[in-house]
Amino acid sequence: MSTAPAIRLMGVSKNYPPLTRRGRLHSLKGALLHGELWRAQQEQQGFLALSGVDLEIPPGETFAVIGPNGSGKSTLLKLVAGILRPTEGTVEVAGRVTALIELGAGFHPEISGRDNAIINGMMLGLSRTEVIRRLPEIIAFSGIEPFIDLPVKTYSSGMYVRLGFSVAVVVEPDVLVVDEILAVGDEAFAHRCLERIARLQRRGTAILLVSHDLALVEQLAQRALYLKGGTPVLTGAAGAAVARYRSDVASDEAGGEAAGGSSRRWGNGAVALESVELLDVGGRPLRLLVSGEPAEIRISYAVRIPQEDFVFGVAIRREDGTHVFGTNTDLDGWRPERLAGDGQITLEFPRLELAPGRYVVDAAVHAKNGLAYDYACEVLSFTVAAPIGWPGCYAPRHHWQPRGPVMGPPSG
Amino acid sequence: MSSGPMRDGIFLSLYRNRALVGVLVARELKARYRGTFLGYLWSLLNPLLLLGIYTAVFTYVIPARATSAFPYPLLLFSGLLPWLFGSGALLDAAIVLSDNGPLLRKVVCPPEVFPAVTVLSHLVHHLLALPILLAGTAVVAGMGLVRFPWTVVLLPFALLVWVLAVGGLALAVAALAVHFRDLKDLLHNMLNLFFFATPIIYTLDQVRVPILHRMIQANPVTPLIQVYRDVVLLGEVPSLVTWAWATAVALIFWFVGTWIFSRLRETIAETV
Repeated sequence: MSTAPAIRLMGVSKNYPPLTRRGRLHSLKGALLHGELWRAQQEQQGFLALSGVDLEIPPGETFAVIGPNGSGKSTLLKLVAGILRPTEGTVEVAGRVTALIELGAGFHPEISGRDNAIINGMMLGLSRTEVIRRLPEIIAFSGIEPFIDLPVKTYSSGMYVRLGFSVAVVVEPDVLVVDEILAVGDEAFAHRCLERIARLQRRGTAILLVSHDLALVEQLAQRALYLKGGTPVLTGAAGAAVARYRSDVASDEAGGEAAGGSSRRWGNGAVALESVELLDVGGRPLRLLVSGEPAEIRISYAVRIPQEDFVFGVAIRREDGTHVFGTNTDLDGWRPERLAGDGQITLEFPRLELAPGRYVVDAAVHAKNGLAYDYACEVLSFTVAAPIGWPGCYAPRHHWQPRGPVMGPPSG
Repeated sequence: MSSGPMRDGIFLSLYRNRALVGVLVARELKARYRGTFLGYLWSLLNPLLLLGIYTAVFTYVIPARATSAFPYPLLLFSGLLPWLFGSGALLDAAIVLSDNGPLLRKVVCPPEVFPAVTVLSHLVHHLLALPILLAGTAVVAGMGLVRFPWTVVLLPFALLVWVLAVGGLALAVAALAVHFRDLKDLLHNMLNLFFFATPIIYTLDQVRVPILHRMIQANPVTPLIQVYRDVVLLGEVPSLVTWAWATAVALIFWFVGTWIFSRLRETIAETV
């Protein structure tokens, strides 16, 4: 796999021109006479939908964009898809891009599903023969075979979307841009969509997705960008970006100000994390851990404002952002009663069976609704060593028992 | 993917996307008469009915002075057919981008294919109606009134200049209509004006007022229609000057049209 990014955005901003009559005519004249459309429009105020976005997404990564409505998520997707051009900065995309921004967009109501699928496939970059070769697969995946030769205007909205999705995924793009599409279709179809997306992930497709389904974002994406008012708030592990977004939503609802802080650490400061340490059974700090050995994560905190609603949480991720494990006191059934004064809380692992590699830890103390008192990303990192370089994240104890094959046991 | 004004030009982009243009033209033709009882027959019936009306008006209501051996209906039809093709394509071009807004906004799709599809599908309708004109001419020639115009073999050239001119105008109209919605209404009236300012329902030599004659001669659409009528009906090989004039007009329309389109191309997706 090449190391060149599949998607790269550098200093990208997008300004929509003002939609006044005069502004348009003015810009039209400018465009025709001087080719100065962009410069002329920047001088007028317009609407700044996105500003200062830098992003690099390697092949095979799934990257989510989250944030409230109107924060510029869809604009970002359209820039990557090549539908819009940035006002400033550059957008580079390697390979074939498929945009699932609106499934079945542009189906012609009067012609058959089959003909529409062919046209749609060609618009997504396949040749006519390629689409026709993959047509059986498209039809089978969509599950609307009995209706494929009827005009699309007779389809239900679900059938419409199924056909659109089926065409888009058989294209096997290098970059897939997805806008909130898994919210459609029935349960069974949604499952098949997820399976298909997982297949694309394994194939090395870089996926850029926008969703308001934060659980889905945590499930599918390794990293995420949290946008607010067109400005990036945080680019980082999907779990952290989601936590930050949830915290902001919770504090908005409470009428408070959004939590301040950097992209690595935020919260309202009612409770502060003083230190987060990885320790061995003897209480000594660890930097290097042997896979399967006991370990504990100790959080020391200081309370500024006593709380009755609080949750302590820990997330472990591989260095590349893959979520390995996460839990919190609420999830494990602990009911908060009172948090006052300084103290410590420890999460003990009798056996930490991680595969060898580097790991990072996020720690947080927050309210049940996600409002962060203190959220620290990558506050701790450690390395796991093992006698054998097993891939993946999980390295449980295991043995081979060859009862048929004749094999020599491992030496040493 | 190109950035800034298109470097490689509209024509090249259309050539690269020719398969897509092809299926979209097929879609247009399929969808056009879907569900109608007469189907493709409308391609023939529409111009024939219009021809019937004009013939009735100019034969019985305001009799046109005959200046040639050709029956008036044929003379009229040979001007009306290319005009209907051109004006129909331009009127559709004014709405084709907004009609295909979802494709432009939600799918990555080169916008220039849509005006091209409009022009080509109108060309197909034109070619479907053309046999009527040829059959009519053959019947008249069979009756010994006129000679059959063997110059019809030059028709592809006459059509080529016409398609080039209409294509250029369609591109300009399509791109401008996105920004300037009034264009559609303006276009209707311009087409009405040019319909009467071009020798369609009459021939140039019927115009006796010198100033009018000169104005109609200066109308850039005139040589295009003349070339067409010369080869398809009158059996005359147009003079080199007429050819040159028609070709120049067609090329100017094409280049100005593609220039306007490529200038505005970037803004189409976000404005449409």
